[in-house]
Amino acid sequence: MTILEAASALRKKELSSLDLTVESLNRIARQNPKLNAFLTVLDEQARLRANQTDKERSDGIDRGPLHGIPIAVKDVFYMRGIRTTGGSKLFADFVPDFDAAVVERLQAAGAVIVGKTGLHELAFGVTSNNPHFGAVRNPWNLERIPGGSSGGSGSAVGAHLVFMATGNDTGGSVRVPASYCGTVGLKPTFGRISRYGILPLDFSLDHAGILTRTVRDTAVTLNVLAGHDSRDDTCSPEGVEDYSIPPEVSIRDVRIGWPESLNSEEVDVEVAQSITRMVRVAERLGARLVPISLPDRDAINAVHRVILHSEVSALMQPHLGQRDKFSSDLLALLQQGCLLSATDYVNAQRLRRLMMREWSEACAQVDCVITPTTPIAAPRIGKSTVLVGGEERDLRLATTNLVRAANLLGLPAISIPCGFNREGLPLGLQITGKPFEEGRILRIAAALEDATDFHRRLPPILS
Amino acid sequence: MRDWKLMAKALGLDISEQEIDRLKPALDSLEAAFRPLTAEIPGEVEPALIFRCLLEEKE
Repeated sequence: MTILEAASALRKKELSSLDLTVESLNRIARQNPKLNAFLTVLDEQARLRANQTDKERSDGIDRGPLHGIPIAVKDVFYMRGIRTTGGSKLFADFVPDFDAAVVERLQAAGAVIVGKTGLHELAFGVTSNNPHFGAVRNPWNLERIPGGSSGGSGSAVGAHLVFMATGNDTGGSVRVPASYCGTVGLKPTFGRISRYGILPLDFSLDHAGILTRTVRDTAVTLNVLAGHDSRDDTCSPEGVEDYSIPPEVSIRDVRIGWPESLNSEEVDVEVAQSITRMVRVAERLGARLVPISLPDRDAINAVHRVILHSEVSALMQPHLGQRDKFSSDLLALLQQGCLLSATDYVNAQRLRRLMMREWSEACAQVDCVITPTTPIAAPRIGKSTVLVGGEERDLRLATTNLVRAANLLGLPAISIPCGFNREGLPLGLQITGKPFEEGRILRIAAALEDATDFHRRLPPILS
Repeated sequence: MRDWKLMAKALGLDISEQEIDRLKPALDSLEAAFRPLTAEIPGEVEPALIFRCLLEEKE
């Protein structure tokens, strides 16, 4: 069942929010010992909230499609009175005294928050193999990572424990778990969703995002979360549209940019085949494929890394003396940032501006760009290198190779399921749009979703 | 390539030589990808950072 189907059943009084919430809590109780997707389960609070929303509905109040729907938030979003760890020992006992803007909006929309999801340590990594809180596991294969950093959210949505979970995305942290767990994952334009009350990782690359099972569910969630917030200096006053997607959506004459630079060495063969099949589906639906030449990806990723490492290290500098609070892998990343110069950081921010101009020129004749989200399917837990195109590569760099550009340039990007490999692991396709054109990429994604059935398949953990 | 050990020492960072050895491949590859880009930045390009004087004053 999707958010929209559940919302319809709630409106027709075929189900109550308490029914949905109890089912969600029961599933968490059954599956979380295997998946470790949740760090905190808010059992009593969720039941109370569900009863409240049922009462509201019987009083004639309808707060929209999320009213009474059980959801989860990544454990970087502040909830008043609820521990928010960031997946780190540093914040293991941190209890905020206010709600994040995203939490405020979800609660105002009547959503029932059933728990807080696990993540990579400090949201800085792609495996969610957390040394302090344990490895989060992939519902399609428990020996595989769910991706990261929002691995708990990907695992929880992929395993149908909740209808939606929030994530945050600094270098692919919503889209990578979406790709590995067979869900939809949206990272909107920088500034589209308020970051107020999100445990920060990086000042200029962090974005809040959404994971759901269908594109239409992401669209109705974005309707709730998008909009200006004066408490977040980076939040945009740009107008918000209605992102809802009609039952029939056309992509006739949509111009899809296809990067000429994408070659077989960068992407696993099965991933490349699944993307090609999806592009053919788009063409059958009337879209036009336009070859484009994007700015050099290695250069984009290098600039992203200089900014990321510098900003994270600056943010974490007061804590660096507490070495026992960090895993050795994370400490190494923070130390790298300390060794970059201020000149390099400023030049990276100048190159960012140049790259945005280049990207904009390259995409002037297209409506979106399609690439794989990740070049491979979910790797095994514990791996630090992976084989891509027959070459052994660093897992973190390989996994994020195709997703960092949208963070550096602040562009909206969505990952949708686009197939499965021979081992039955899901694969993801990324659609990147122009600033504040979330509506357009959501419609394109919905048309592709309507034409395929990948989002309807269930992971083995549910059989 | 930069001498990361000397840099760490000059900056007074609490990073051991063994730790630098572990960081070196990642730092060297980043340096190799990033350094050539900096030579091509036109002088008029400002960093993508904003300081809003009025807003700061109000806070």
